[in-house]
Amino acid sequence: MAERHHRKMDRRSFMRRAGGTALALPTASAILAACSKPGSTGDATGSSGPVDVARPGDPVTLPLNGEPIPTDTPIEAGATLQVYNWSDYFYRKVLAEFEEQYDVKIEWTTFNNMEEGIQKLVAGQVKPDVFFPTTDYISRLVQTDLLQPLNHDLLPNMANNVWPSFSEPGPWYDQGWQYTVPYVIYTTGVAYRRDHIDDSLAQEKGYELLWDPEYTGKISYYDSYRDALGMAMLRNGDLDPNSGDPAVIDRAREAVSELVGPLQGKLTINGTYAKLPEDEYYVTQAWSGDIVGAQWYLPRGTGTDVLGYWYPDDNKGLIGNDTMVIPTTAQNPRLAHEFLNFFLDKKWGYENFVNYNGYQPPFTTIEPDTLISEKVVPPSLNRAIVTEEMFTKAYVQGQLSADVDDLWLDAWDQIQAGS
Amino acid sequence: MAATSTSDPPAPTRRQKKKAKASANEASGAWYPRWYWPSFTVPGIVWLALLFLLPFFTVLSVAFGTVDPIFRQPLPVYQPWWWSFATFNETLSKFYAGDAIYQGPLIRTFAYVFAASFICLVVGYAVAYYAARYAGKYRVLVLILLISPFWISYLMRIYAWQSLLQPDGYVNDILTGLHIVGEPVNWLAGKHITVILGLVYGYIPFMILPLFGSLDRINQSMLEAGRDLGGSPFETFRRVTLPLSRPAILAGLVIVSLPMFGDYYTNNLLGTTQTSMFGNLIDNAVTQAGRGPEAGSLVIILMIIVIVPMLYYLHETKRAAAAR
Repeated sequence: MAERHHRKMDRRSFMRRAGGTALALPTASAILAACSKPGSTGDATGSSGPVDVARPGDPVTLPLNGEPIPTDTPIEAGATLQVYNWSDYFYRKVLAEFEEQYDVKIEWTTFNNMEEGIQKLVAGQVKPDVFFPTTDYISRLVQTDLLQPLNHDLLPNMANNVWPSFSEPGPWYDQGWQYTVPYVIYTTGVAYRRDHIDDSLAQEKGYELLWDPEYTGKISYYDSYRDALGMAMLRNGDLDPNSGDPAVIDRAREAVSELVGPLQGKLTINGTYAKLPEDEYYVTQAWSGDIVGAQWYLPRGTGTDVLGYWYPDDNKGLIGNDTMVIPTTAQNPRLAHEFLNFFLDKKWGYENFVNYNGYQPPFTTIEPDTLISEKVVPPSLNRAIVTEEMFTKAYVQGQLSADVDDLWLDAWDQIQAGS
Repeated sequence: MAATSTSDPPAPTRRQKKKAKASANEASGAWYPRWYWPSFTVPGIVWLALLFLLPFFTVLSVAFGTVDPIFRQPLPVYQPWWWSFATFNETLSKFYAGDAIYQGPLIRTFAYVFAASFICLVVGYAVAYYAARYAGKYRVLVLILLISPFWISYLMRIYAWQSLLQPDGYVNDILTGLHIVGEPVNWLAGKHITVILGLVYGYIPFMILPLFGSLDRINQSMLEAGRDLGGSPFETFRRVTLPLSRPAILAGLVIVSLPMFGDYYTNNLLGTTQTSMFGNLIDNAVTQAGRGPEAGSLVIILMIIVIVPMLYYLHETKRAAAAR
């Protein structure tokens, strides 16, 4: 008992000091708090030892931290809801609609990458009511008591509207959806300009289109190590995009180095949604939501049929989803539940998707054929539509253990250094 | 002793009064306690302590610290006796051992900084010389016009360059239009020259300003004396103007090259990984989880590198002061 108590204290003070980093200045309290050598306790802490690494084939049920808020909790009146999300990931009009319906204010704080998002949350620099983490961070956020369990009675749209696989038995990263609801879903494929590249060629080449010397200087790739190396692995025929095998990682590194070296590919985040429409790139690594959103960036007079998207025919490509969660520090947990439910509403979640975001929510009410016939998604991008069935075939990139993550980052460093 | 007490002094003796009066007379009629002038350094010392020493200590604490095992955020160790140098050594070895993956950026950084500083000096000198000696009553206007683009944010201007340098941008239009190149050049696809010129563009005003200040102050009669003694215009420039502007040249070189060593956004916006510089290594390490100590180590290594030109500058200015 005493032992366990001791461990818990260690982890607490440990996290507190981790938070101090963001302040960048050693406050007197941080120095005093550092009564033991930081980090040395971490390895010994059984509960935090090697983090459970969840995979679709090996789903986790997360431990329950406390109880969800009671169903009869009143909605916080006149509150300011703090929302912490990626930039450009909301249609503002949907936010305005929520503000009007509930007579509240929304304060939207953005982050540019997940590392930044997590860092500020862990440090307590932001105290959001709603947060949008990627799936690989869920178990770590629960492990450190940063998320609160959800009250399912307050989220009726999960049953009304969302693919049943997200609630029964729940996603692989959170069985029984105790902490998370899905936000949007996406595949990662290859986008191309149909005025330069034939569909049949794209179909024949697949990933190789990105490595085609014909398009030297006209290629872009995501500036994100998991996406970049993960797709390179599939292209190399290494079918585990979470691989910890140094040889597989090295092959992927070589492939990406070739892409950014001799093929003059650009590592960038806006290649697909902004630069492909401008005809600056002909072929790009693409999240399905980015290429759907790209139609709104086309210059006047250019038809949406110039955009094409390839995803493996057997659906064995990369797939993923983002989540919505309520952190423990939420000031307005009841309103936060309403917000989650609002974005799972078939009308408002759909509005968010088709008018600005381009990222599809996993709704039973969304029919792939209707998306095409109602011209939400151009026919040339029909492969960018995500179906529930794809999730049973495709590869998901989950959390990596620290050792494996270091191998991936070493490879990425080498790519970034241009050597 | 007597001069220091300010509150409720004992009745001064005649001798003390006399002494105080004497020192007051010395200081042109005003009297100051002994701590008065040194106290002027307090804001500077506080500034240095708060904005340099403390952050630098934190960088050391991050570099020689660890990461938390869950989120892999940097966990600074503030007690030097617990510092671990493993990450630092590992980072350092990436510059020479094994694949030496960081050697490329290091060599590039030196080459780019030397080339860009040299171009800054040549171009900046000519501009400053013209503005100081030949622009006459318009020289302030010339200077303002030179500086005016810099009222716009650097980021905006580099974005403008991005669109100018695109394969179908104006630069290529002009070059192909004049048949200087046959095919449009992809300037943004990791070309050394693009990054070097980007650096020149970003930092050249900081070269022009000290040079202008110095050239403007050179006494005309010195140059006339040079000519009177039989020097050709070139000789006069080489033996009078150039030595007199030497301190400004050094100052300008230091001011432009030091920040260039740490620059990363010029390459981010105009280059690729093939032109990545030292600053890009730091930028990458900072933004990846688990790489905090490596980022700190890189900062320290860069600091050691830039201390060398800084020490040379201090040595030179000291020598120049002694010679005067």
